[in-house]
Amino acid sequence: MPVGEYDFRTGVSAFFEMATPDALAVLPAYLQPIEVRHQRSVLSVTAFLFEESEVGPYTELMFAVIVPPMVAKWGQHAKAGFYPFLAATSSERARRQRAERYHFRYLEQDIDAQFIETEDRIRVRAWSVGKPVVDFSVTQGAWESTSHLLQGFTAAGDQRFRTTVQISGEYTVHENERGTMTLFPHPMIAPLLGREVSAYPFREHWFKNGTEVFYGLEAF
Amino acid sequence: MSEQRNGTSGDVETSIASKRITDAAAHPHSVTSQAPPTAPGAMEYDYTNFYFGAGKDAFALLAPFDDWWREVKPAGYYLYELPLHSAPSTRVDVEDTKTHEVRSGLINFASYNYLGLSYRPEVKEAIKAAVDQYGGGSSGSPILSGTTELHRRLAEEIADFKKKEAALVFPTGYSANVGTIAGLMRSGDLVVADQYAHASIIDGMILSKATSRFFRHNRVEDLDRKLSGHEGKKLVIIEGVYSMDGDVPPLADIVAVCRKHGARLMIDEAHSAFVYGANGRGVAEDQGMEDEVDIHLGTFSKSLGGQGGYIAGSHQLVNYLRGFSRSRFFSCALSPAVVAGLRKALELARNEPELRTRLWDNVATMQKLLADGGVPTGDSTSQVIPIMVRDDARIFQMGEEIFREGVFINPVKYPAVGKHKSRFRMSISAAHTKEELEEGATAIVRVLRRYGVCQ
Repeated sequence: MPVGEYDFRTGVSAFFEMATPDALAVLPAYLQPIEVRHQRSVLSVTAFLFEESEVGPYTELMFAVIVPPMVAKWGQHAKAGFYPFLAATSSERARRQRAERYHFRYLEQDIDAQFIETEDRIRVRAWSVGKPVVDFSVTQGAWESTSHLLQGFTAAGDQRFRTTVQISGEYTVHENERGTMTLFPHPMIAPLLGREVSAYPFREHWFKNGTEVFYGLEAF
Repeated sequence: MSEQRNGTSGDVETSIASKRITDAAAHPHSVTSQAPPTAPGAMEYDYTNFYFGAGKDAFALLAPFDDWWREVKPAGYYLYELPLHSAPSTRVDVEDTKTHEVRSGLINFASYNYLGLSYRPEVKEAIKAAVDQYGGGSSGSPILSGTTELHRRLAEEIADFKKKEAALVFPTGYSANVGTIAGLMRSGDLVVADQYAHASIIDGMILSKATSRFFRHNRVEDLDRKLSGHEGKKLVIIEGVYSMDGDVPPLADIVAVCRKHGARLMIDEAHSAFVYGANGRGVAEDQGMEDEVDIHLGTFSKSLGGQGGYIAGSHQLVNYLRGFSRSRFFSCALSPAVVAGLRKALELARNEPELRTRLWDNVATMQKLLADGGVPTGDSTSQVIPIMVRDDARIFQMGEEIFREGVFINPVKYPAVGKHKSRFRMSISAAHTKEELEEGATAIVRVLRRYGVCQ
């Protein structure tokens, strides 16, 4: 059953290649990264602008490594899994709820973000405590309605959890390599600095006017 | 908070500074969805969603994949692996596995038979004669009992054709790449390949255990970056014609970067050998860079219409790989009948340059027909012409209609190419007649117009 529903106006997600040893360095031992090509794993950088939720409107920035989902029967089989290793929100209330409910690890300070939309591109600039964190952009392809079924992996102490996440809304995705990313030397993203991360996304996702639904945590 | 707008020009900025966010208490929100999660439509999934899956049972992915496959196959995936009931000529009889009918006389733009050699009477006669003398298979590894006089001669003839000291024959093009890369490179070495490199190149890189990097397609400055900072052995791998895009590499620039970094260069001319260059030796000949490339690799299954692969290079290279190419060492040698057909096909390719002339004339004709129809064909300059549809959701529907309009051509979508880079891959042959090219192009344009791909 759903345990959290978040309506968003905009969601931006960009997939970057990163060296597999770097991905392994941020994953717990029981998770393996999906390799998009030999020795190249996937760093997902995601920013959502939530308009309505039980903790009000807020913005979330999340860095995750894409991992294999737990296999489920067809019909409930997630397309991919993700392990968020860095996240931040613009409100303490949202941060507290999501940390308590899903065990995601959040930056303790608020994050500020701008979503700057031009004709075919959306750029996200995020900063915290007055310092820039990341500046990234994706571009649009053809828009369509979609529904994504994903699995999020989290941990609390020695306990491992997974949660199913469904993201529905207007959606465009492509691999035209027209996006960008700059990572700034901010403490939030220290695990990524100096790592072999590509400066452009190989896959660019952009959602509009949709809903992110979280289903209950399952221990495994 | 300012509104975001779709389709506007000029910047629209939405500031989300936390201090500006309205108090959540003013917007109570309750969870409204009560149903369990449901998977999106089957066609939103693809092979990659069943490649990785966590769990304890090695067979865990089999059942969900099987269930998914049953849903998507009739929706378009059936267009793959359609059985041919005829030779891969310019017109083919193809079994429609959806209706169980055999569709006769389809114009064939799917086969690699670039010079139309696989069914030439001379080739078939050579094969029949070899069967009479040698029987079916070679019955052994090349290094044990599998090498016949025919194999030895084919290797010599390929070396002579490529103007190289020696050549080594492999059972497939796949094994040529895997065996060469893994036979040469070791853990701690660096292999850098174009991001569009064939799967067999990538598998060779994996097997070699060398550090692997990929540079952006045909971007020399990125190759330069990817080669930087490695002090050990380095190998760069490119293709002559990229099989999904039909474009060629900027060889002179790539050679310059390789020399700057002390890297060896290997070119896979699977789709370009026997068709490019004044003598058909490939893109390296065409660009005047044959001596600057260290390893020339090719296949026999494309222009020669047979099966197998080869490398050509120095005596030392071939001698070393003869001992260390495990994919050749531990495979059964090519059937003598196949080798006999290849030798005859090579002879025809060398002695009939008019085949290449006709091929390039046909390519120009088809490019013009497609351009006149407003069909986008990417950056192709070769006999491999991608018809860029860029519509993952509807390419199978278009493929079905093109098939039923009498044209055999393969749809290609993610993960074989990037998301929303879906296309039909068209292979042109010297054997196509002008009438077949016009009839085929007309049918394709007719369908694509219905879908708005072209006007």
